[in-house]
Amino acid sequence: MADADEEAIRATSTEAPQIETDLSDETQDFRLLNHLNFLSDTSSSSLPRRGEKDFEPNPTEFQADVLAASRGAMHNALGHPRIHHPKTQVIGIYAPDGPAPPPELKVDEKGTGVSPEYCVYVPVPKGQYFKTMGRADRWNRVWLLPEEAMYLIERGTLDIKWPSELTGIDENDVNEPAIPMSIQAAYACLLGRSGLTLERYTVFTGLKRLGYAVTRAPGWDDNAQVNESKNESNKKAYTQPQQRGPGLAGIIGRCFSWLDDPFGTSSTAAGPVVGCGIHRNYAAVYRKLAIIPWYDPAAAETRDPLDTDVPFRVVFHVYKPSTPIKKSAWPAPEFRIAVVNTREQTSIPTLAQVGALLESTPLDPPRGEKMDRLMYMRLRHGYRNVVLAVVDQGVTSFLRISDAAFGKEKLYEAKGVPTGPKRHGNFRPKKR
Amino acid sequence: MDSLPTLPIPISFISGRYLLFSIDAVTYLRREHNICGVLIGTLPQIPQQNVFLGLPLELMPEEARVLVDRGVACIVDEAKAHDGMKSLLEEDRRQYLRELESQGLHATRILSDRKGQQRDQALKKLDEKAKAKAKAKAKATKAADDNASASSSAQQDEPASVVDLFADDGSNPASSSKPLTSSTPDAQLAMGITPATSYPPLPHPSSSSQLLSKPEVPLSYPLFAHLHSRGYFLSPGLRFGCQYVAYPGDPLRFHSHFLVVSAEWDQNIDLMDIVNGGRLGTGVKKGFLLGGPEKSREEVNSEAERVESVRAFSIEWAGM
Repeated sequence: MADADEEAIRATSTEAPQIETDLSDETQDFRLLNHLNFLSDTSSSSLPRRGEKDFEPNPTEFQADVLAASRGAMHNALGHPRIHHPKTQVIGIYAPDGPAPPPELKVDEKGTGVSPEYCVYVPVPKGQYFKTMGRADRWNRVWLLPEEAMYLIERGTLDIKWPSELTGIDENDVNEPAIPMSIQAAYACLLGRSGLTLERYTVFTGLKRLGYAVTRAPGWDDNAQVNESKNESNKKAYTQPQQRGPGLAGIIGRCFSWLDDPFGTSSTAAGPVVGCGIHRNYAAVYRKLAIIPWYDPAAAETRDPLDTDVPFRVVFHVYKPSTPIKKSAWPAPEFRIAVVNTREQTSIPTLAQVGALLESTPLDPPRGEKMDRLMYMRLRHGYRNVVLAVVDQGVTSFLRISDAAFGKEKLYEAKGVPTGPKRHGNFRPKKR
Repeated sequence: MDSLPTLPIPISFISGRYLLFSIDAVTYLRREHNICGVLIGTLPQIPQQNVFLGLPLELMPEEARVLVDRGVACIVDEAKAHDGMKSLLEEDRRQYLRELESQGLHATRILSDRKGQQRDQALKKLDEKAKAKAKAKAKATKAADDNASASSSAQQDEPASVVDLFADDGSNPASSSKPLTSSTPDAQLAMGITPATSYPPLPHPSSSSQLLSKPEVPLSYPLFAHLHSRGYFLSPGLRFGCQYVAYPGDPLRFHSHFLVVSAEWDQNIDLMDIVNGGRLGTGVKKGFLLGGPEKSREEVNSEAERVESVRAFSIEWAGM
C-alpha cells in the first residue's frame, strides 16, 4: 500500500509539467550555478531549469554524494568574493551623521541641500547606477539612501569606506588608506536608519535586481501624520464607501417608465418589484430589478497618503525599467507598493484599511481599446490599484489589490458579452 | 569545505532581525543543525535575478532560538559591536589593510592568469580554424573566395572568445574593452575587496556587553522546535499559506512533505481552516500538519517544557 502510494507520487512528480512553476518559489539546486559560466558574458547564459529532487532521504551513498555536491556548489556560489577593479572602482564614504559639506571646506556652510535621510556619499560618481539612485549636492558628490548604498555594496558595485573619524585614523594623515566596510558592517550601520526595516529593504532590493527603478513614497515615515493645521478637514475616518443607485440613466429611465406606467402600479410596496405594467424590453425590467445600491470607486474621494493605517500605506513608488527617469522630476509611478511584515501584521487587512489605502492612490480608470472591449480585463484592472508586498521572514509575495466597479458593468446593456449559463464565467479577480 | 567555525557562532541581531554573514557558519548550520534560513542578499556574480540569492542569510527568531538553546550560537548586537571600529588598535588596522591588499593582489593575479589562459585558448582555436580552413582551401578550387571569408570570420570570432572577466558584471562598462597591459600586477593594481564579515578587523569572541539574551519567539515555537528535533528542515511558509513548510531533508534535494500550522491546545479552530488547509495541502501534494503544545505558557516555567508536550496531527483530503 505504502509502496503503491510512493510510486504514485514519484510518477506524478516526474511527469508534472515544470512550465508553470515559479523558480524563485523553491529552493534551487546551486549545482545548476556551476553550469553558468560567470566568466563569459551573461547575455548568452540563461537561467537553468530547476533540478530534480528526491521524495525523501534514503541511506544511499549516491544521495549523500549528490547532496554534498549541491552543498558544495552552494558554498562556492555564496563564497564568491566581491572585488573591485582599480580602474572602475566606485568608492563611497559612510557619513553616520547625515549629509555634510566636504571636510576640507572649512566654511560655515548651512547645509548641503540633501535630506538627512541620506548617509553615504560618492565623491566621484560613475556608472549607470546613479541615473535612478542618489541625489547630488552642490559639490557634485552623490548622496545615497541607506537602501541604495546597501544594494550597491551587496552587488559588488560600490566600495564603501569607513569614515576616518569612526576608525580612529588621524584625519590629517592623507596617506593612511581608509578601511573598507564589510557587508556585515553595512547592514549593521545602515539598516534601521530613517525607517528602513529589513522587510522594506528586501522588497527594494528584490525589485532593483529585476531592473525596476524604486523610490521612497511620501508615506515612507510611519510616524508622519497628516499636516492638520493645513488641512484639518481632510483627516477623516474611513466611511462606508459612497453608494450609487441607478444614477442619471436611472432617473431618465424612471421618466420613461412613468410614461409606461402612469398609475404607479410598479410600486414595490404594492406589487412585484418589476411592477405589473407592460414591459417592452428586458433592459427596462433589469433596470427596475436593480434595487441594491452599488459602490462607485470613481466617486470615492482621494485621501492624503498619510491618512492611512500603518503598514497599509504606500512606501515605494516603482517604475518599469523602460520608463525614462529624471531624478529631479520623477514621473507618476507605475506601481505603488505597501510593505507588510507577517510577523507584525498577522491578519488580513480590514475593509477600512484597504479602503483607505486604495483611496490614497490616484484614480487609474481602465483605458485603451483593449479595456473598452474586454469587460473582465476592465473589472480586473479596477479604478484604483495598489500592490501589497507581504514579507514572511525574507520570503516576499506580491498581491495586487484593485477597486473594481461591478455596478458600472451592466451586463444586460452590453453587447458581445458572453451569455448563457456560466459559459465564460470562470474569472476571479481580486475584489474588495 | 567541511570547515568547522568556532563555536558559538555569533548571530547578528540588526534592527530586530537575525542575520548570518559568514559563509562557513551558513554551510555548517545547514549541514550539522538542519538550519536553512532564507538567503536575502544579491549574488555579485549574477546580480540581476531573484532565483539564486546570496548572503546574508535571514534566520527566523525560532531558528535563532533553537541554535542558542543548543549552545551552538549566540546573539550579538551588531550595531554595538561595530562601535568597536573606533577603538581598533593601529597595529591591527594596518595588518588588516595589508591582508586585504594581499588578497586583492592575489585576485588580480588569478584574473590575469585566467585571462592569459583564455587568450591562449582563443588563439589555439583560431589556429585550429586556420588549419582547417587551409585544408579546405587546398581542396577547394576557388581559393580567393575562401580566403576572404576565412579572414572575416576570424575577426568576428576574436572579440567573442577573448572575454574580459568583468564583462558579466555590467558595473564596469569601461573595463571590457581595456585588457590589462601587464601580466605581472604591481601594487597599484590590487583589486579592492569588500569582505562579507567584519571579523576581522573586529575581535572575534564578542565581549559580553554585546551579547543579547535569547530571542523572543512566537507561540508557534514549540511545534517548530518539535519538528526540528525530529530532523525536519523548516522554512517560512507564507507561499503555501501556512506557518512553516517542513522538508524531510535538505530542501536542496527534497520536496517538502508538510504544511505546518500551529495552534494552542485550548484554542478554537475554525473548521473551515482545517478544510482549507487539508484541501490546499492535498492540492500541492503535501500533508496539512496541525499541532501544538498541550501546555500553555501560563502552566510552564520554560519553553522547553512546552516543546516536550507537543502533539501533531496531519490532515489529508480523502475526497469521499
